[in-house]
Amino acid sequence: MALMDYMRAKAILDKYKIRSVPSRYVSSAEQAVSFAGRDSIALKLLSDKVLHKSRAGLVKLNLSGAGEIGRAFGELKRKGRGIRQYRIIAQKMAKPGVEAIIGGNTDPQFGKVLLLGLGGVYVEAFGDTQLRLCPITKYDAGQMIDGLRSKDILTGNGKSRDMLVELLMQASRLLTNNPRIKELDLNPVILRDGSYDAVDIRVLV
Amino acid sequence: MKADLNTLLKPKAVAIIGASRNPDKVGNVILKNYIDGGYGGRLYPVNPNADSVLGLKAYRSVLDVPETVDVAVIAVPAQIVPGVLEECGQAKVRSLVVVSGGFAEVGETELQDRIVKIARKYGMPMIGPNCLGVMDTRSRTDTLFLPTYKITRPQVGFVSFISQSGAVGSTVLDVIAGEGFGLSKFISYGNAADLDEVDLLQYLMDDEETKVIVMYIEGIKRGKEFVELARKITRKKPVIVLKAGRTSAGSSAAHSHTAALAGDYAVQEAMFRQFGFTVANDLSELIYFSKIFASETEPRGNRIAVVTNGGGAGVLTADAIASSKRLRMAELSAKTSRALRGRMPKLVNIRMPLDLAGDADEKRYGDAITAISGDPNTDMLVIIVLYQTPGADSTVSAAIVHLKEVVDKPIVVMSTGVGYTQAQKVQLESGGVPVYDSPAALVSSLEALLEHAEYLETHK
Repeated sequence: MALMDYMRAKAILDKYKIRSVPSRYVSSAEQAVSFAGRDSIALKLLSDKVLHKSRAGLVKLNLSGAGEIGRAFGELKRKGRGIRQYRIIAQKMAKPGVEAIIGGNTDPQFGKVLLLGLGGVYVEAFGDTQLRLCPITKYDAGQMIDGLRSKDILTGNGKSRDMLVELLMQASRLLTNNPRIKELDLNPVILRDGSYDAVDIRVLV
Repeated sequence: MKADLNTLLKPKAVAIIGASRNPDKVGNVILKNYIDGGYGGRLYPVNPNADSVLGLKAYRSVLDVPETVDVAVIAVPAQIVPGVLEECGQAKVRSLVVVSGGFAEVGETELQDRIVKIARKYGMPMIGPNCLGVMDTRSRTDTLFLPTYKITRPQVGFVSFISQSGAVGSTVLDVIAGEGFGLSKFISYGNAADLDEVDLLQYLMDDEETKVIVMYIEGIKRGKEFVELARKITRKKPVIVLKAGRTSAGSSAAHSHTAALAGDYAVQEAMFRQFGFTVANDLSELIYFSKIFASETEPRGNRIAVVTNGGGAGVLTADAIASSKRLRMAELSAKTSRALRGRMPKLVNIRMPLDLAGDADEKRYGDAITAISGDPNTDMLVIIVLYQTPGADSTVSAAIVHLKEVVDKPIVVMSTGVGYTQAQKVQLESGGVPVYDSPAALVSSLEALLEHAEYLETHK
């Protein structure tokens, strides 16, 4: 299996109306600064050799201004020397919220499987996740949410719940319609009152 | 392939190949069980070294048996099974139960492939190898090589149980025999070389003698076919599943978080829940859930009324109900409260849980249950009977069984004890009233019942 190029993966999500933060590859600190404009950005080193980016110190968050962005870019470049193939991506910072994981996998017996859980660093700490075979129904999506111990954290109100149901349905469609995609990680997806942004995307083909 | 399991389960003529004269041998025990169990069909022991076994004329080969048999039960060493199956094919045997072990489970996959090939060549559906085989409490076919003095056979009922493992299967059977709800069919299918869980479930889905299906499963052989069947089966009857392999860790070499979190067990458990199976976490839950579904009642809501003859037991049960995410305690309507006040002695406080006091007899229980079951604020009734008290005896059990017939709401009993209590439990369960010995068991069973009802409601 191979990691799909980030921007291609993002384009597939766009097609399924799954929102993700504005992103672009940068090959210099200047490019990153101009992409940032007045916003704060994140810089990440992407490589299919690395799964736990933040643990490896390859994620720099909340950067603004030429000095800060430049220093972070330089540091990632240095770390990249040990990793043969990599790219650096700049992303607009998402507004803060609750982190969820939405994912997909291919089970050898049952085919595409959709996952929802409390995301970010909590995925492994709590293992609070729900799985369903694809394609899911609206009922299944609701059951996935209700089956989480963290459901009240993820969906504060009815509006957030409806949004999450729709997002799960779209992710299920994406997985079902694209047999090439073997695994999918949207982790984290940042949820806040009726809106969300997928912040990190991994698609394996 | 849709196998006709009727031939296997309702045979008119059975050959037992490997019917030894030695009472310690599997073939001997099987034949003896057929004889002792009151099987009404014709029995043909096959043994090349004996003229008779257990008083029945023995045959040198299945080819010598004077009629075409519906089932040949094979209990001979693995190496000679292929030859025996060839003879069965030539004798036009209609179906096979291969009890013998020594096949894929010990790495002899080629030998197993050979016997499957022979069975299919002659169109003989096969259970096994490496299994206990089949049991049907109505036809009294019973290929289990477990002596009846060591494991009592369950009474006739409507729960059917399939098990990949013979050991788990026989343990559960033993426990079911001590419960009052009974059994319809038991199939231990071992290596599932020919007939597998999909075939068995397909048959039980349409079987009129089966109202609840229980399964113990280690692995699923045909995922796609299983899912196709899973979508249909739970809408027809409840299916309780105990799946082994919870602890098998997800692949550590996974490429993504999702893959690491979506291991075999997690996916299968999710699939079971998605399609409305009732997942049991252990053998105890498997029994608990079986009896609630066997009672064939449908809850219309989650409000539980509790009636008791012991204050402490009432409080413990109320605690368990209040701690449940799905259930809640019922609140009696003013009308019901008035009716109860008129009928109950002064020392009974009219509130939930309703404590009838230690001297409650069948009349007090009957009056209380009648009043509460008519209350629109109550969906299910939990009746606690501590049979250790003077007033509680079999007349209370009889009153509850009678009320179960006339009340249109689930009624379950909680009763803890041995000896006398155990006898009352069997009386209640034979009358269709499930009995639990702890609030936790009761609550998880009512939750399972409710969850299944909700699944049906949302999957019309």
